[in-house]
Amino acid sequence: MSTEQFALDNVLLWLIGLPLVAAPLVYFAGRLFNLGRWAALGVIGLTWIPFVIAAQQVGTGSISLVVEGMTLRMDGISLVLAAIALSLGTLVVVYSNRYVAHEENEDKYYPMLVALIGVITGLGCATDLFNLWVWFEAMAISSYLLVAFYRDQPASLEAGLKYLVQSAVGSVLVLLGMALVLALTGTMNLAEIRAVAGQPATPGLPLLAAGALFVIGFGVKAALVPMHTWLPDAHSQAPSGISAMLSGVVIEAGLIALLRAVASLAGVTLSWGVLLMGFGALNMLAGNLLALRQKHVKRMLAFSSLSHMGYMLLGLGIAVYVGQSAAAAGSFFHLINHGLMKGLAFLAAGALLYVLFIKTGDHHSPLTISDLGGAARKYPIVALTLSIAALGLGGLPPFAGFMSKWQIFVAGFETQNIVIDLLVIFAALNSVLSLAYYAPIVNAVYRQEPSEAVTRGQALSWTMSLPLILLAVAIVILGLWPSLLAWLTGPAGTALVKAFGG
Amino acid sequence: MTTLQIAVIGVLGLIGIGLYGLLIARNLIKVIVALQVLVKGALLALVAAGLASGKLNLGQSLAVMVIVVDTVVAVIGLALALQVKRRMGTLDIKDLSTLKK
Amino acid sequence: MIQALILLTMGLPWLGGLAVWLTTNKHPRAQHTLAVVFAVATGSAALLLLPYASATPAIVIPLGGLFGDLTFTPDGLSVFLAIIATVVGSLAVIFSVNYMHGDKQLGRYYELVLLFIGAMAGLALTGSLLFLFVFWEVTAFCSFALIAFNNDDPKAVAGGIKALIITSLGGVGLLSGALIIYAQTGSYQIAAFLERAETLPKEVLALVAFGFLIAAAAKSAQFPFQTWLPDAMEAPTPVSALIHAATMVNAGVYLLARFFPAFEGVAGWTTAVMIVGLLSALLAGLMALVATDLKRALAYSTVSQLGYMVYAIGAGGVYASQFHLLSHAVFKALLFLAAGAVIHGVGTRDMRQMGGLGSRMPFTRTVFVIGALALAGIPIFNGFWSKELILEAGLHEGSLWAYGVAFFCAGLTALYTLRMVYLVFFGKPRSHLHAHDAQPAMKVSLGLLALGSVTTWLLAGPLSELLKSTLPFHEFHELRTGGMIQEVITQPATLAALAVIVAGGLLWWQRQRLTGLTRMLQGLARMATNSFGFEAINRGVIRVTQSTAEALRVTQTGLLSWNVAGIAIGLIVVLILLAWGK
Repeated sequence: MSTEQFALDNVLLWLIGLPLVAAPLVYFAGRLFNLGRWAALGVIGLTWIPFVIAAQQVGTGSISLVVEGMTLRMDGISLVLAAIALSLGTLVVVYSNRYVAHEENEDKYYPMLVALIGVITGLGCATDLFNLWVWFEAMAISSYLLVAFYRDQPASLEAGLKYLVQSAVGSVLVLLGMALVLALTGTMNLAEIRAVAGQPATPGLPLLAAGALFVIGFGVKAALVPMHTWLPDAHSQAPSGISAMLSGVVIEAGLIALLRAVASLAGVTLSWGVLLMGFGALNMLAGNLLALRQKHVKRMLAFSSLSHMGYMLLGLGIAVYVGQSAAAAGSFFHLINHGLMKGLAFLAAGALLYVLFIKTGDHHSPLTISDLGGAARKYPIVALTLSIAALGLGGLPPFAGFMSKWQIFVAGFETQNIVIDLLVIFAALNSVLSLAYYAPIVNAVYRQEPSEAVTRGQALSWTMSLPLILLAVAIVILGLWPSLLAWLTGPAGTALVKAFGG
Repeated sequence: MTTLQIAVIGVLGLIGIGLYGLLIARNLIKVIVALQVLVKGALLALVAAGLASGKLNLGQSLAVMVIVVDTVVAVIGLALALQVKRRMGTLDIKDLSTLKK
Repeated sequence: MIQALILLTMGLPWLGGLAVWLTTNKHPRAQHTLAVVFAVATGSAALLLLPYASATPAIVIPLGGLFGDLTFTPDGLSVFLAIIATVVGSLAVIFSVNYMHGDKQLGRYYELVLLFIGAMAGLALTGSLLFLFVFWEVTAFCSFALIAFNNDDPKAVAGGIKALIITSLGGVGLLSGALIIYAQTGSYQIAAFLERAETLPKEVLALVAFGFLIAAAAKSAQFPFQTWLPDAMEAPTPVSALIHAATMVNAGVYLLARFFPAFEGVAGWTTAVMIVGLLSALLAGLMALVATDLKRALAYSTVSQLGYMVYAIGAGGVYASQFHLLSHAVFKALLFLAAGAVIHGVGTRDMRQMGGLGSRMPFTRTVFVIGALALAGIPIFNGFWSKELILEAGLHEGSLWAYGVAFFCAGLTALYTLRMVYLVFFGKPRSHLHAHDAQPAMKVSLGLLALGSVTTWLLAGPLSELLKSTLPFHEFHELRTGGMIQEVITQPATLAALAVIVAGGLLWWQRQRLTGLTRMLQGLARMATNSFGFEAINRGVIRVTQSTAEALRVTQTGLLSWNVAGIAIGLIVVLILLAWGK
């Protein structure tokens, strides 16, 4: 323990601290010299250095940073979260170069985005319940303004407000849960809570209530049904880069906060796994059905995030229930893949939204399925990458989403538990159902007759196509060689099972 | 009645009022006020929890931190509400329900 | 060598797809040429695999974790299916040079067709269940994308999505089966499973067996999933010939044949397989009899013939089913491509508007009639021999009632085939259609397939030898071509079958005199036109799903109060559940 001290050579300090400290600088760079986008890119680029070093140091164990008695520890789970936040963040900064150019709030966009990345990395490393809450709130605060980015748009304000109020209610529930835990265990340290909570002398029922408060409180951010109602509004109204971040990273961060908090109460009851699986099934079905009849592309993608959260919950629930790390590793794999695929889907849809509407000065019109018509002729890259994203999300091979779903399914069947088997089949049937709304996207972009919007569409900049191509390539490579990320997801799965005492 | 019991009653009262306000209020400012009442309930709960576990210092320091963080949230909420009033000329949440289905 | 050939068989079409993509739609001539060159090269590579066929995996790539090993095993069954896929594939591509001439999205067409050919070869050659499923879904995707190739036509889009959903739905059966096998044996290798199948618990094996049957039925458009195939006829005709007649729909039959040794002993499985096959053969045969759209009639006949193959497997005649698969792939590809030439020539698919086309497109008529004779099971043509073998297997192994139905279907086939030929090519023209005969590239494909329809039955002996020597878990009787001829000719059952085929034909000639009978059967005809209610069931399922989805949208009120109420409700429910679970 003596080595865990505050020192400038601690890589974790740089990984989390760099974006946070640099965020104000990015703001000034943008405000004074109109260089915000490049400053942001530079900062995130630099953050990759500590990330790579940290990734090597973590290996299958963990590294720690102690600041004034507050410990941050990076294990496999934190690494997964940092990896996806940083990857998607980098691409979103490149992508946003044009997307938010000349917008009123451009100078505030980049610092918020940079801070968001640092905060999410920090959230993954929290070892203390209160600390977790602070990171969680910081994440929420930096994303509120990003969601309500178009301040002259009533719909954007509406989405931001709903997001704010619901998140705040969730955070109050988390605080109440914390109060219960504090009252009964006298500590906020997750490991100490776990030690006390497991003892027979500790009263179980209030702690159970605290667990429920955590599940619901963090569940608002993780978009568990029925707390999901903010999500479609926020994801569809935010600038597309932020939609990608929200869907690909922020709701997953909420999920990881939930897992961390609930893991400390693992000794209280055995039903956490069942609860997670239950929410998983509910999320899958509700998300797919709600997405089925959507005509607005971004709103449909937002609803489909619910169902993908369901797959992750299913895998995590299986892992927690039987104490088997393979299912959790599958879920973390799916978390990464969903970040890539949904990120790509939002960015590609956003690219079309930008060239068809925003660039012509129209901030109101949503991108509908029929607007996609014939996009392939004029924007072949966007059409192809959007199709890859949609098919990957639908679980078709050879894309990454298929492999992670398969891993969850195999792990589920390996338990040889009939109920879990049935849940897995239910999940597979849900994938088939989801094809019913993903496939028409592909059909639409490859029509011959261009839609009216496409005929009027403007040219696409390479800064927007580049992130799309990179994400699409990553999705295909991971689909063909799924064990490429095993070094990342394997330790995360093990860490989760260990956290739940398996 | 011990201090703790009073505090618990206070917490439940504040939470109840806050939730009730959130569920029925139609004015955006009232919604944000109700949210603040809810947060105050949580603050009291934290202090009370510190008292109950004999770690009053911990509870109080947490509460101070929560106040700081939550002020930021309240400010953002009010700023958004201000924008809503300015752009749409209304604060009724019924008018803020264009995004649905 | 063998590794290189396997990689070429799968890789060449994908490289070709890439090359076509890079050529872009600005150079259609180059695209045609590239597609043909790569397709023909693929077919040649697959044919070269023949002498190397063996039961040992040729390529093993460990993927680690829960993904097992990616293996390719070029055994007889695999090589056989891969050859059919790539050879018919290259003929379909050659045909497309004329058929797709001038299409604006030619690149996408060839990319998808070549992607399909590679995926189908992969499906045939892989020895890993995981990758069997991967290729299974990739072929389903290609099928979807090609059915909906003309995305501007809502009917095509609907047909494509229907095919995708139904085959994926069946795919869940394959998925579950594969997962069960992995959970039980710790391996995805098909050979390992076949070896250990008997040691698995009976119920578990039964679950796998019926899961695979569902998957096979959905993929091969068998009862009760047959409805997607007729709607798939919106695809360009070469695609119908390749995917929906000669190759992809065979994947289901292949799956059943491949796993037959493991499932043979599962109680009720063989009976279920026979029932699925016979019901498909019978219902689709009746529907073919009343269809008015040329391609749909052919699609029904495909379902019916696939039903025969499935029935043969149920009766234990794995060899007969594969032999018929070969014959059917050749003559049905011929019929579809010839129908494509007709449609290309006259611009409609409605048989009621055709008639008397034979004199104006003599080449097309000749090859179509050859295909039709093979389909009807007239001696000398390949369909005769394979159908006789199936009926023989059914008579020896299966029960008599099943044989009776299959026997009846043989007559039915002759009847609807004759009707089709007559309506299109003979009689008086029923409308003024502009018609031209098949074009040069089309003639190449049609001619080769017509030649195949007359000769492929000579391969009965070599095919038997190939399967027997490389499939250690299956039991095949030694069969030489000469022996087959003797066996078939001396069987009294053959004469009976021929009699029923002739009877079916006579029924068509005498159709005016049999008005009484026709009237009696009008109810049946109406049912057949309405696809015996299966379309209604499909529509019902879609309606229920969509209205549920629509109803659920009400929960997204958009009102902040309700959103907060959602959180409160969630909290209360979770609290109650946890307290109850405690």
